[in-house]
Amino acid sequence: MSYFLTQVLNGLSYGLVLSLIAAGFAIVFTSTGVLNFAHGSIVLLGAYLVAVLHPTIGFWPAMLVALFGAALVGVLINALLVRNLADPTPGAAAILMLGVDIVLLTELTRRIGNQVLPVGAPWGASVVRFGEIALPTGRVVAAGVTVVAFAALWYLFSRTDLGVGMRAAAADGPTASLMGIRLSRTAATGWALAGVLAAVAGVFLTSFPSPGVAPTVALSAFAAIPAWVLGGFDSVPGAVVGGLLIGLTSALVTGYEGDLEHFLGTGFGEVAPYVVMIVVLLVRPSGLLGSKEAVRV
Amino acid sequence: MKHLPRTCALTAAAVTMLSLAACSTTDPNASGEGGGGEGDVTTGSGVTDSEITVGMLTDLSGPFAAGAAVQVTQTNAYWDQVNADGGVCDRDVVVDVQDHGYDPQRAVTLYRSMAPDVIALQQVLGGPTSAAVLPLAEQDDVYVGGVGWTGSALQYENNQLPGASYAVEAANAVDYLVDELGVPEGGRIGVVYFAGDYGGDALAGAEHAAEERGVEIVAQEITSQTTDLSAQASALVQADVAGVVLAAAPTQLASLAGVLATQGADIPIVGMNPTFNPSLLGSPVADALLANAYSITSVAPYASDAPGVQAANELYASVAPDGDVGWEVPLAYVQGELLRQALEGACESGELTPEGVVAALQESSSVDTDGLLPDGLDYSQPGQSPTTTVYVSKVDADAEAGLALLEEFSGPSAESFSYGG
Repeated sequence: MSYFLTQVLNGLSYGLVLSLIAAGFAIVFTSTGVLNFAHGSIVLLGAYLVAVLHPTIGFWPAMLVALFGAALVGVLINALLVRNLADPTPGAAAILMLGVDIVLLTELTRRIGNQVLPVGAPWGASVVRFGEIALPTGRVVAAGVTVVAFAALWYLFSRTDLGVGMRAAAADGPTASLMGIRLSRTAATGWALAGVLAAVAGVFLTSFPSPGVAPTVALSAFAAIPAWVLGGFDSVPGAVVGGLLIGLTSALVTGYEGDLEHFLGTGFGEVAPYVVMIVVLLVRPSGLLGSKEAVRV
Repeated sequence: MKHLPRTCALTAAAVTMLSLAACSTTDPNASGEGGGGEGDVTTGSGVTDSEITVGMLTDLSGPFAAGAAVQVTQTNAYWDQVNADGGVCDRDVVVDVQDHGYDPQRAVTLYRSMAPDVIALQQVLGGPTSAAVLPLAEQDDVYVGGVGWTGSALQYENNQLPGASYAVEAANAVDYLVDELGVPEGGRIGVVYFAGDYGGDALAGAEHAAEERGVEIVAQEITSQTTDLSAQASALVQADVAGVVLAAAPTQLASLAGVLATQGADIPIVGMNPTFNPSLLGSPVADALLANAYSITSVAPYASDAPGVQAANELYASVAPDGDVGWEVPLAYVQGELLRQALEGACESGELTPEGVVAALQESSSVDTDGLLPDGLDYSQPGQSPTTTVYVSKVDADAEAGLALLEEFSGPSAESFSYGG
């Protein structure tokens, strides 16, 4: 039983980190309609900033700089590139983001070099024990931070003018604009929020039980894509549910692979998230909590 | 969701377009003959009266850019040194370095454009890129060196593996765990491996050795995106493994060692060639690595005191005093050394042509490299690893590049392993 609980906690704690990344995808898509394929590189950028700055200014100030830096890069990508697209269609924006991802990732790979850079998190490699179950302290902190972050997002979207404006802009941009909502402002807020979430996720993704920042972190961030898609492209709560579901599925399938391999083969833990995503999309094409597409006939 | 279907279609189209690249159809043998015969030596592509051009297809802009840059620096320094000592066959050797960015299509295009002008390829870095280039190079009878250590590369007779293959490394890892690190007969050994050529080859070697040594394998397949190995580590602890063989990358080694330590599993972890990086000793899991991490490599580690390794290290320090150090330094040097020996063999046989270099390789049954690789490498047995000997090192904070050489090792399972056998 403790083994089962260990794997459940492994899955849920990792799933919460995936939720942070998936929520970033969802917020950018909701606020600007862009499939942000550069999000993985922004996750890496946030972690990289903490890794290079913490030896001189300390972990927490480095974290603040990383949050601001990742948010700023997101805002600049939107202001300088996305908004100036000659053909502002979602397809063109997606291709643009693939290009941005290549540029960012190449530069970060060049800077990181052949190293694995520790982020210097104060919890180090310590663990919290719940009876027989040991969970990395970093993951416990991640769970707490994630819950606070999502509570703040809920408050923003449901209780503030800015958040309500963002939802209105997402639902019907032209009408929202006619109602006096500045679309440029809601878009910039969305990109900045996604950048902040990416930086937070980047730090948790690269602190124990991971050793530090390496270029593959950008690829690891793409493990959140099934969480984003099955949660619903435009739903932050969906991203949370999706992240938890994917984390749990991966951990349990990996944990019980020895019992499952007779009919599923080895390595199914890597495939399982995508199988779950496909099954969910077959039943609910808009994802678990995504908006249904309205078709006028 | 309003734009979703159109978005997805456009995105799919974009990705498809990005993944397509043009392929040249130039026949490398159709042109590019060198300076013709000189004296008793017949020359071919990439050879003039004064120069021999060798190619290097590497990754200067993709995921392995940092390690590749070290290898390019060391390769250029190696050939400069050879040229200063009189060159090969009375000619200077020049290196044509091209960047494939870890993209197989680009590697094929670059190979097609490069092949008419080089006598051999010292290196095609990367599994998928070399898998794309090797069959073409075999058709063209062009030597290819240093493509990693996957068993699948052994089927090409134009390929020169720099030391033992991954399967042989993993078989040795199991032997070492049983003989030296206390895994009992009937015990269990975890194998955590990347999906694909590298991990698959290592798993095959480990399974062979497990059968030979009466131990049971608990396999966990992962990908390079798996940087948190909590679930895998918990599963290995639950299976009560007494040791782990790891065919992955440094990030995975650190994560696995750290999580196993927190779960109270004080068991040895033996990693293959690319699993250790000295920078891991600055991570929070350094203590766990120092306690339990070992490395099995085909090439002697940086800290070896063998004359070849010392020569390689000194050469690198002279051209890149502040450069990153690690296993790439002796590796790049020995790849140059292997190619130099093949070029000299071709020269001695009077055939300084791509075909002559491949023939010289195939006739090499006892290659020595001053301790950079195990002595007596046998390249005359196509399809088999050129040696069964590997280097076993322990992670050590006091050793240069973090690995202290324990011994050269050739276990009984590695010696009984054969591809297709």
